[in-house]
Amino acid sequence: MKKTHVPVDSSQAYRELRQNPYRPWPARITSITKLTDTETLFELRIIDHKVREQFNFNAGQFMELSIFGVGEAPISISSAPSKKGFIELCVRNAGSVTGALHKMRCGDIVGLRGPFGRGFPFEDMKGHDVLMVAGGLGIAPLKSLINHIHDERHEFGKVTILLGARNPSEILFRQQFDMWRHRDDFNLIMTVDTPDETWDGEVGLVTKLFDQIEVDPAKTVGVICGPPVMYRYAIDEMRKKKLPVDRIYLSFERRMKCGIGICNHCGIGHKYACIDGPVFNYWEAMNLQEAM
Amino acid sequence: MYFRILAKDHVSTFVEGLAHVYEVFAPVKNESGFSFEQVSDGSSIVLDYPMTIIPPKKYFVRSKESLFRYDTHSGDVVESELEVTPRVLFGVHACDINALLMTDKVFLGDYEDPYYKARREHTLIVGVSCMPVLTCMCDTWGTGEVQQGCDLFLTDLGDRYFVTCHSVEGAHVLDTFADTHEATAEDTKALEEHLRAFREAFSRPVDATSLQLLFDAKYNDELWEEIGEACLSCGACSAVCPTCYCFDVNDELDADGNAGARVRCWDSCMNSQFAEVAGGHDFRPTRASRVRYRFYHKFWSYPARYGKTLCVGCGRCDVACKVNINPRRIIGALQEGARS
Repeated sequence: MKKTHVPVDSSQAYRELRQNPYRPWPARITSITKLTDTETLFELRIIDHKVREQFNFNAGQFMELSIFGVGEAPISISSAPSKKGFIELCVRNAGSVTGALHKMRCGDIVGLRGPFGRGFPFEDMKGHDVLMVAGGLGIAPLKSLINHIHDERHEFGKVTILLGARNPSEILFRQQFDMWRHRDDFNLIMTVDTPDETWDGEVGLVTKLFDQIEVDPAKTVGVICGPPVMYRYAIDEMRKKKLPVDRIYLSFERRMKCGIGICNHCGIGHKYACIDGPVFNYWEAMNLQEAM
Repeated sequence: MYFRILAKDHVSTFVEGLAHVYEVFAPVKNESGFSFEQVSDGSSIVLDYPMTIIPPKKYFVRSKESLFRYDTHSGDVVESELEVTPRVLFGVHACDINALLMTDKVFLGDYEDPYYKARREHTLIVGVSCMPVLTCMCDTWGTGEVQQGCDLFLTDLGDRYFVTCHSVEGAHVLDTFADTHEATAEDTKALEEHLRAFREAFSRPVDATSLQLLFDAKYNDELWEEIGEACLSCGACSAVCPTCYCFDVNDELDADGNAGARVRCWDSCMNSQFAEVAGGHDFRPTRASRVRYRFYHKFWSYPARYGKTLCVGCGRCDVACKVNINPRRIIGALQEGARS
C-alpha cells in the first residue's frame, strides 16, 4: 500500500508559508526582570534569524509560549513593535506553563508561536487623545501600546494612563511609571486599593480617578484592560465622559489554546478572542454574549 | 452527473477491490451497535445501519494525536511528517458528510490545520442513503441529502444502488473496481420512489423558524437553569456529535525527559474548566452556562460566523444523553411562546 508523506512542518514552508501553525519556534531567554512577587518580565529572542527578521506585530497581539515538556500558554506582548529582534512578555506565575517559566534562567530555551489576534488599531488611533485604564496585569498588553505611542508621540494628542493595583508592591513596571509621573507628555495617575508606607499616590479603585481628568469625547479613544470585574465599571465611566461605544477598546483575557480559531477554548459569543480579538471595541463586545 | 447502477451482490467485490489500494473503513455491527472499522472482507460491512455510535469525524479529528515531537533542550521539532494512508470511508450517511463540510470551514479557514487537511485530501468518501429513525432530524436542516463533500453516493433501490459520481477519483475507482451498468428510465423511477419514501418517513417535524433570533433573545431564559440542573456534564453529546470539534492541547514528556510530544485530544465545552483562565477565573462556571454555550455555538454562533447551523440532525446526542437534553427539546422549548 502506497503511503504518502505530507510535510507538516518543513522549516522553510513553515517560515514562508506558515504551513504548520502549531509548530513553535525555539527562542532563547535573554533577560529576566522580576517585577513583583508573582510577575516577571521575560525578554526573548527567536533563534532562527530569518524568522526573527521577518517577525512583526501590533500592540495588543499575543504569543503562544511553549515550555517544552509542560505545555503552552497565551501571553500578550509587552514590548513595542519598534523593539526589533526581541519580544518582551510580562508573565504572572499562575499556572503550570508560567510556573515552569519562572524557574528558568537566562539562556534557557522556550518556544514561541505568533503573533496572533487583532491588536489595538494603532493607525486609527493617531490624531486622537488616548485614555487608558489598566488594572493589575492588564497593564501588560497596554505597555506595548504605551511604548508604541511613546515612539510616535507627536502623532497623538493628550495621553492619559489610569493605573490601578491592589497594593503598591503589585504595581507592574513601577520604577518606570514612578519616573513617568513627572513627565508632561503623559498624564499618568496611579492608585492602589491598600496603601503602605511607601505610597504617596491615590488610594481607591481606578474608576475613582475619572473625577480628576478632563476628556474631550470628540477626539478621545478609550482603552481598557484589567481583571474581568473591572470592565463594566471602567466602561460606565468612559460612557459618562461621552465616549462613543465604538471608540472604547477592550482587551480580553481568554484561554487561547490553538491561537488560530479552531479549538474553541477562547470563544466569546460568535467570536474568538484569538483571531477576532483579543481587542474588541465596546460596540462589538456589547453584541457578544459572555464578553463581560 | 455521471450515474451508474451497482447491484447489491457486487458491493463486496467493489469493497475488496478498493481494499487493495486503500485502507477501507465501513460500518460493521458489534456488541453495542454499529461503528466504522477497517475492513478487507466486503461481506462484513452493513450498509443499511441506523447510525454509528461515533461519527466518521474520528478519521479527521483524531480523538488523540501527536502534533509533533520535540527535543526538550533545544526546542527543535524532531519529527516533522504526518503519515497519511490513502483511505476510503465506505457507507457514510448524508448527515455525516454534511458535518464534514461544516468542520472543513473551521479547520480549513484562514489558518489551515495541516493534519486535518492531509487526511481530508487523502480520503475518498462513499456515501450511502438511509431511512430516518425516530431521533433523526436532518429534514429540519436539509442535511439528509448531499450536494458535495463525497466522491460517490449510493442510493438504495432495493436490490441495487443508484450511484452518483461526485468526483473524478470516485468515477475512476468505480470504473476500476465495480461491476456497474448504465442507469435506465426504470432506475430513475425507482430513485424517485426512494426519495418520496425518504421524505415521507419523517414524522416529527421541528420548527426552526427565526431560531437565531429566539436563541439570542432568550439568552437569559430560565430554560437554561432547568437544563443546566439536569445536565450531568458527561460530555457524551460532544463525543458523539459529528460537528463538535473542540480540542485540548497538552505536552507528554518521555520518561527520560529529553524529548516529548505535543498532543491534542478531543475536548468538550461541557467540561468544567473549559473556559477557565490562568489565575482561576472561569467564564462559564455553571453547568447551565456551559450547556447554554454548546447550544448557542450550534444554533447561534456558528451560523453567525459561517452562515449555517452547526447541527446535521443525526440524532446521536439524543441517543447518548442520559437526561434527554437534545436539540429537538431545546428548540421546542424556545419556540413554545412563539407558536400560535
